[in-house]
Amino acid sequence: MNKLWIAMIGLFAMVAAGNALAGGDAAKGKEKAAICGTCHGPDGNTPIMPEYPRLAGQPDDYLEKALRDYKSGKRKNPLMGPLAQNLSKQDMKDLAAYFSRLSGDLKVKY
Amino acid sequence: MVQALNIRSFTIAGLSVFLSVLAAPLHAEGDAAAGKNKTAMCAGCHGIAGFRTAYPETYRVPKLGGQNAGYIVNALKAYKAGDRQHPTMKAIAASLTEQDMADLAAYYSGK
Repeated sequence: MNKLWIAMIGLFAMVAAGNALAGGDAAKGKEKAAICGTCHGPDGNTPIMPEYPRLAGQPDDYLEKALRDYKSGKRKNPLMGPLAQNLSKQDMKDLAAYFSRLSGDLKVKY
Repeated sequence: MVQALNIRSFTIAGLSVFLSVLAAPLHAEGDAAAGKNKTAMCAGCHGIAGFRTAYPETYRVPKLGGQNAGYIVNALKAYKAGDRQHPTMKAIAASLTEQDMADLAAYYSGK
């Protein structure tokens, strides 16, 4: 019975650790976000050009997908394409976690 | 004298062409009020907080309120041209004129 509990707790811990690894780390994302800030604004809310998007507050899974698609070429952009080549899957998750947690002007508008 | 006048009028003509090119809007001007009446196809997904796409991938749709107008227009053009891939967005963007895009962008980017 004890062995069963230990096994179950171990399994639970592994699943929990797996989930943590799968998610993004906003603090690590902040460290990797300097280059993003040069165009999107250090706060993710003040892009230097009207054609560049605000990122602050956008859902993390959307931001991650955008970066993934830039890297794969599914989404074509002469600036973001090359930049995304340097990002690992974990970098994308971390950056997405960071920018999604910043607050700015973005909101759901009907 | 005649030659000097010709040069001067040529310069003036050249300058006015240059200025009119500068003054011409790069994109269609958006009308936020008109855009508000064109959101029927957008609101079903983008108007619902936390709404998730169901196909082909699952993720929460981006917030449009407060986004830069120029970015929204470019996004719609990219979907229409196939530079961004999403079946629903491609179909919707394909049905929009440049004026529709500008109007929607003016609406969503506005306060």
